[in-house]
Parts: sequence; C-alpha cells; structure tokens
Amino acid sequence: MSPTGGRRSATRGVFAIEETELLLPNPVALDTSFVVEALIATQPAHAVCRPFFLRIVESGVSITTSDLLPVELAEAVFGIALKERWGSRWRGHRTDGRARRRAARLLDDAVSRYEMLFTSADHFSVPLADATSAARSLMTSYGLASYDAIHAASAIAADAEAIVTLDTGFALLPPSLLTVYTDRSRVASCRSKRQR
Amino acid sequence: MRSVAKTQTNGRPAPLSPERLEQLRRPATAKTLEEKRAAVRLATEGFRVKVRVTPDMYGRR
Repeated sequence: MSPTGGRRSATRGVFAIEETELLLPNPVALDTSFVVEALIATQPAHAVCRPFFLRIVESGVSITTSDLLPVELAEAVFGIALKERWGSRWRGHRTDGRARRRAARLLDDAVSRYEMLFTSADHFSVPLADATSAARSLMTSYGLASYDAIHAASAIAADAEAIVTLDTGFALLPPSLLTVYTDRSRVASCRSKRQR
Repeated sequence: MRSVAKTQTNGRPAPLSPERLEQLRRPATAKTLEEKRAAVRLATEGFRVKVRVTPDMYGRR
C-alpha cells in the first residue's frame, strides 16, 4: 500500500508533501534541504515546508536525522553571511574575516531555532559512525552523492521508510529502500530519476 | 562496530538494533500539542535573511 493508498508503480515511491491525504510513516527522516526551508522564512519553499513540519509534529510520529544535518546548517549560515556581504563573489571570500561576526550571530540564531524545532517531537539523530558503511554501499550501488548517501543511510539505520527532502538526488535510490516526500514542483523530476 | 553494513534479503541495509536506537532517542520536551505547536512557531517564524540559500551553500550539488 502506498502512502496515499494508490498504486505504487505509478508514483514510483515519490509523493508531494502538499497532498493532504499523505500518510506519515513512523519514524520519518528529514533531510537538510527540507529543514533549511522550514527554518528560514525567506526561502521559497518555506510556505510548504513549515506547515508540513507542523503536520509531522501534530501527527505524533518520531523524526530521524543525520548528525550531518546541523553541520550542513552551519555551513549554510556561514554561506548566508558571505553572500550577504559579497553577493555572487561570496565563494572567493571564505577566509575573509569581515563576514564572521554576522555569521556568528546568524549561527547562534539558527542553532537555537534548530534545537527548539526538535523539542517538538521524539528525535533520533544518527551519528556518522552508524551510517558510513551503508552510505558507501549506497554510493557504489546507486550513484548517490556522499552527503545524500549519509542522510539516506541514516534514515535506513533508524528504520525510516520515507525521507522528506527537496533534493532530487534521493530518487536515485529504488523505492524499496526509501520513499521520497518532496514538494510538488520536484515530484516529476524525482519520478523520472527513479529506476523502473 | 556501529555500522549498518549488514544487508537484508530485500537489499535494504539492516537498521540499527532497537537497543542502539533507544540510546539515540531524544524524547520531545514539548509535551502537549499546544507546546509542540508553539515550539515549531518559535523556531520557524521570523528567521529572515537577505539572500536565497541554495544547496551549494551547504555542500550539495
């Protein structure tokens, strides 16, 4: 039975988080791309991801993430400070110290919000050491990028059936390993990537 | 060894043991539904930045 009760073959294990009838497995895994959109109000998918996070919390299911997630969030925040100061040339100014004060303030805010967010549900944060071996296997078997492989392996380690993500790279995995929950604009792209 | 290298018959790597998962569990500190909603609201409202965050900013392609 698919999460919406329809035929799994037609959906290829990819579902839109905007679908109100979507069933939530327990636990459900979250990827960094989803959490970034849920946390930051100025992101384009915030209006979709925030209510879906609330729906997860209200449903009472547990959440699982990788320990990589807060590290990626910190990296994103550092990138925000650099991009705000240097615009499109931000990549070349990583070692320039002038954005660091802003980065530190943003990071404090982001970390406190992240911690607050995860007080709202039972949470399993999977250490890298518990996922690296399976991540290597997912990379070589399905061509996943390294960070995606860590998140996917962490989800599987926590026995999650689905991962919520805005990264279409997770669709390289077969549906038997992970169902992909994404926003409506990425459903077609994910389904086209799924192996038949 | 805390790996999940063992593979089930369906090709899915085996999950961690229930004992290990229990070690990793962080129970929600917000207990009531209203407390949980408030936590999500506090975490997700008002964090505004002047640029768009793109996946390459956290190491993705």
